[in-house]
Amino acid sequence: MRLPGLAMKRKQWEPFAFASPSLVLIGFVILFPLAYSFYLSFQNFDLSVGSDYEFVGVKNYTEAIFRDPRFLGSVWNTAVIIAPSLVLELLLGLGIAMLLSRVLRGRPIITALLAIPAMVSPVMAAMAWRMMYGVKYGAINNLGRQLGILDVYFDWFSSSLISIVAVVLVEVWHNTPFMMLVLLAGLQSIPQELYDAARVDGANPWQSFWSVTLPLLKFTMVVGVMIRLIDLTKLFGLIFVLTFGGPGGSTETVAFTTYLMGFKDFRMSYAAALSYVIVGGVLILTLAFFWMQRVRESRAA
Amino acid sequence: MAIAIERSAVVTQRLKRHRLWRRVGHGLTYLGLGVALVFFLGPFFWIVTTSLKGNEDFFAFPPVWIPVEPSLKHYAALFTRSSGARYFTNSMVLSTLSMISALVVSLPTAYSIARWRFGGGFLSIFLLVLRMLPAIALIIPIYIVYKLLGVTNNYLGLVVVYTVLYIPFAVWLLVGFLRDFPVEIEEAAMIDGCSRLRALVQVIVPIIAPGMAVVALFAFIATWNEFLFAIVLTGIETKTMMVLVTSFTSGGTDMFYGEASASVVLGVLPAFAVAFMLQRYLVKGLALGGTKG
Repeated sequence: MRLPGLAMKRKQWEPFAFASPSLVLIGFVILFPLAYSFYLSFQNFDLSVGSDYEFVGVKNYTEAIFRDPRFLGSVWNTAVIIAPSLVLELLLGLGIAMLLSRVLRGRPIITALLAIPAMVSPVMAAMAWRMMYGVKYGAINNLGRQLGILDVYFDWFSSSLISIVAVVLVEVWHNTPFMMLVLLAGLQSIPQELYDAARVDGANPWQSFWSVTLPLLKFTMVVGVMIRLIDLTKLFGLIFVLTFGGPGGSTETVAFTTYLMGFKDFRMSYAAALSYVIVGGVLILTLAFFWMQRVRESRAA
Repeated sequence: MAIAIERSAVVTQRLKRHRLWRRVGHGLTYLGLGVALVFFLGPFFWIVTTSLKGNEDFFAFPPVWIPVEPSLKHYAALFTRSSGARYFTNSMVLSTLSMISALVVSLPTAYSIARWRFGGGFLSIFLLVLRMLPAIALIIPIYIVYKLLGVTNNYLGLVVVYTVLYIPFAVWLLVGFLRDFPVEIEEAAMIDGCSRLRALVQVIVPIIAPGMAVVALFAFIATWNEFLFAIVLTGIETKTMMVLVTSFTSGGTDMFYGEASASVVLGVLPAFAVAFMLQRYLVKGLALGGTKG
């Protein structure tokens, strides 16, 4: 009789064989393009000029980091959009998750309904809202006029500040449901006994929120914020449809600027360099976030 | 005795107050959730009603919130004038193909991680890092290579990209399902002379089918929603719904409201279906990037 254990030892190649389809595909479609793009970022390949190119060293990188006001501006814009979005998504998500955790009847259906925006593509979310912001036919102006709050048809994308607020609002609408789902799962994993114990000790709801819920939810919150932070650095489809970077480039995000550089100006090498700067930035951001978390934890301990 | 009565009076008073507070609390809870529902679902409601409006309803004041005579003529116009039917079909075909190929490719990889700890944890971390990678870093080289190979504006090229993009997500979810699967069943099949691959296909797959359906639905919706690769790599024949929608933005902020809203309704349909089917897995799926390309 053949024992599976022996068979497994005899077939050392089996794990590789099973994993190979994915590994080969990842090699061809992710690792090779990344390597090629890295090589490209040291050339001056420009499709609008021609297919000739030469080695230019780190010129693309120095231009991106020190001399390109458009790209640096997009870094700033991205940060300006990310910061309020993260804060609002966390607070709103936490609030709704806490409300949901108190509901006894109909929780699954309400949760599923509230989760829908997160399942929708950024493009569709942006399109729906772009129409809602519409000057003459949009829901917001019409509702405002009907209620007497607005007396003109307001153009929500006329100034850069209001445009950023409008983008943040759509982003919050789109992704708060994700935060809510994550935090709801976190809340439900906190054992009820801890709340009972806090109550026996005489804690009021506010105190038990601060000393039971928040500390135990911290890890979940960190994970949720981390995921949103990484995804927000990729913000593209929403901008593409909602503002196309305008007005005056005030809502151009890093991903959007890189896209324009590559597929509007066809400066492929420069766009490749920009994409590597973004990857580096995200990496540094992630590591800094984890490091901060660790420092804070070791201080708390 | 007197003390006991007094106490119970205090207790009942307290209980009453407690109940009142609880009722107020419940009322506020539902009120808050009601506000949240209006905020998060209101736009969908408005888009659906707008897509059913007649042309004169758009500039009516006071605004028409619910059309008196709903009509499907914007859908008809979308399907004929803007070739919406073709792009809807494109999205369907692409999403189905990517879903199937992502499953076929990811299942054996997930199996080798779950059974043999293949890659010693390194592989799973590596896949997680890939999930963080911005798509913009991939699209530039892939566009150049595809242009050279002549596979832009081609289903196959897109399906290959999407398959690879969902490997990390699919593998992570599938590893979880496979770890829950009792090894004994599979070993029994192998003692009976079944090869490992056959055991995977004929014994494990039927049992973990519900889990695979979850992965499949997430992969489907991810392809459906994907935009960056779609807009760069598709041409007039292979455009998806996401690309079609952007064509309505050219008319400033007041554009073709009828067809644009109809296309948004069609574009969000799968999300609605999937949100209800996948309730239990939404957190995991979304966290692993199941709906983002």
